[in-house]
Amino acid sequence: MKKLISSFALVLVLSAPAQQQTAFAQQYDKLDLDSQPLSNKVCATCHGSYGVGNPIVGGPSLAGLEPWYLKRQLESFRAKYRGNNKNYIPGNEMQVSVARLSDTEIEGLVSYIATWPSVAPEQTINGDADNGSALYASCAACHGINGEGNELLGAPALAGRNDWYMARQLKLFMSGDRGGNPDDVYGQQMRAGVQALSSEQDINDVLAYVSTMN
Amino acid sequence: MKKFVSRRELLGLIGKTGATAAVLKASTALGLVPETTVQFPDIPSVNPANRPSVVILGGGISGLTTAYELDKAGYDCVVLEAAPKAGGRCMTVRSGDLIDEVGNPQICEFDDDPHMYFNAGPARIPSTHRNLLRYCRDLGVELEIFINENKEAYVQDDAMFNGKPVKNAIVTTSARGFMAEIMAKNFTGHELDQPLNQYEAESLLGAIRSFGDLSEGDVFKGSTRSGYAHGGFIEHGVQKDVADFSELLKTDFMRMILGQNEGETGPVLFQPVGGMDKIVQGFTNKLEGKIYYDVMVSSVNLNNGNGVEVTYEHKGMKYKIEADYCFNCIPSHLMTGIENNFDEDYIEAMHYVRRGEAYKSAFQAKTRFWEKDDIYGGISWTNQKIQQIWYPPHGVFKEKGVILGAYDFGGGMHFTKLSQEERLETAIRQGQKVHPEYRDQVEKGITIAWHRMNHMLGCAARWARDRGGMTAQEEHLYHTLQQPAGGRHYMIGDQISVHSAWQESAILSAHWAINDMVKRQSGISTMPGQKLS
Repeated sequence: MKKLISSFALVLVLSAPAQQQTAFAQQYDKLDLDSQPLSNKVCATCHGSYGVGNPIVGGPSLAGLEPWYLKRQLESFRAKYRGNNKNYIPGNEMQVSVARLSDTEIEGLVSYIATWPSVAPEQTINGDADNGSALYASCAACHGINGEGNELLGAPALAGRNDWYMARQLKLFMSGDRGGNPDDVYGQQMRAGVQALSSEQDINDVLAYVSTMN
Repeated sequence: MKKFVSRRELLGLIGKTGATAAVLKASTALGLVPETTVQFPDIPSVNPANRPSVVILGGGISGLTTAYELDKAGYDCVVLEAAPKAGGRCMTVRSGDLIDEVGNPQICEFDDDPHMYFNAGPARIPSTHRNLLRYCRDLGVELEIFINENKEAYVQDDAMFNGKPVKNAIVTTSARGFMAEIMAKNFTGHELDQPLNQYEAESLLGAIRSFGDLSEGDVFKGSTRSGYAHGGFIEHGVQKDVADFSELLKTDFMRMILGQNEGETGPVLFQPVGGMDKIVQGFTNKLEGKIYYDVMVSSVNLNNGNGVEVTYEHKGMKYKIEADYCFNCIPSHLMTGIENNFDEDYIEAMHYVRRGEAYKSAFQAKTRFWEKDDIYGGISWTNQKIQQIWYPPHGVFKEKGVILGAYDFGGGMHFTKLSQEERLETAIRQGQKVHPEYRDQVEKGITIAWHRMNHMLGCAARWARDRGGMTAQEEHLYHTLQQPAGGRHYMIGDQISVHSAWQESAILSAHWAINDMVKRQSGISTMPGQKLS
């Protein structure tokens, strides 16, 4: 118990927080984005603490994502290449969340998120990994034999990513909601690539195989 | 007259009524109204030299209740709140306030005047929510009457009367009149002999006639209860024409409106004078120095049965705090993104709860145009997506007022998916169907899409996936999450109730958790029977 009390005291000294419960209206006269990292202010709400991901609100893990890929996706959402399907709520939310970010803010976010330790994803999709292995042959050309990704081709790593998130993205690529914009070069490239998969079962199988790479 | 109900059917109905009445006699009518089984916490005072430490995650109503009660009993309490202010969904928006929607932050531009506020979350307190009312009393929160049902407000449905709004009183009196006529006409001497004696039968028939304001011969010829077409004071009143009942059958509002006067929306309802967050202020005034704002919890881990360890960030710095107990009102759907070492079944339960989708918007009105229409407080109903327009029961005769311009109480993301401009334009366009002058009268609109509010990302949690109520599996999950993880970590909030979306439920969830903690501390077994070893 003594130990606990001292830790309380330690925290109180360290944080020395401003007690601000004064006039409510005054607390909000401006957006307090300068005082703390933007990622902490907004990203964590959906993507979990330090980007571990949160399947319940549809926020995939960010920890461990390649910085160049993350940057491009933030820009894609900002440019409205992504997040247009009104029935895919997490995408809409992401689009509006980044709509006002400046280039500098995106740079800052990307380099901050790069400091978060990667987390091993949990497998949530079951499928026939053997069949998936065969289907993956066409994916491997860009994403690598071990799902390690290839920056030169603009293809992110697949190993370490959430399978439920990849399943949704594959469906969005199939419907053209992602990769459908002529200015979205890399998205279009993937949209063409996804034609190798023809059914929900294919998606499950290939993701079951991708899960073995984690 | 066309016969709508057969005699046999009616007899059955009367029989059922008799049976129900008999049941009522035996229970609720004698004062045995259903009561919560959660007792108001009676917490033994702790040894001041060895105060148990408690970390409370989230300064919503349940977190504040917990902090207030445990602090009073001498516990060493700390509340960690993610937002710059406490209250959670108990939120009142005034001039200059930020509405922190992810991707769509808004600053409220209402006039700076005490009555110009909007209760974006809970907005009414039923008189049966006695624990919340007790806190209002104890914390000095001044209350006034809230008006929910107002017969002078409008009902508008595109399918009814060519979409023209009609006064609620017309719908109500007509519905009752026509229903009473059917009942009374079928109520003949022959049937009277069956389930009721003569006195009971006459009493019931009298009530039916009065219920529907029937004229001679048990015919509904309209009712002055819906007001006069003109006159009524110095010259004789001229009754309004009888509404075409077939029009009223085109809308679903008849059944909705007839149910509004009872239950949790029935009188008497209250609201705090000056805004619902006066309750939050009441709590925070008592918890000075114990609430820390702008705190993002990053992990919650059980400490081998010896308490809970929480890490968090505050203004870019990381901290760790250990406590004997943790009470957690972070929405379960956000806890799933926060590192923890809970049991699998606890996490499974956390993953199951669905996020609520409710949406509200409000406008500042340049004049209180509704008052010219005899409306003072209450709600107009419409089949448009805005669903309702609420008129403030406070600030009568002042120059301006704040009205609720849309309330989608869940089950739809229509407005949430729209841009801010589209949301407001839709609300104005649809509001014009109820009040033609609406567009000229409203300004400075605000919207609250609870599904996207920062640090919350959802309105009231939903356990049941089916309208039929909770399944056995859902009951199991609910009770799993209600139990303390490791005997030390309690999830609280209206999410840990079977009746979410009410502050009373949040308070009772806190009371339940506190009582459970006290029971465990005192060694009282929570299991039936006697503890042997």
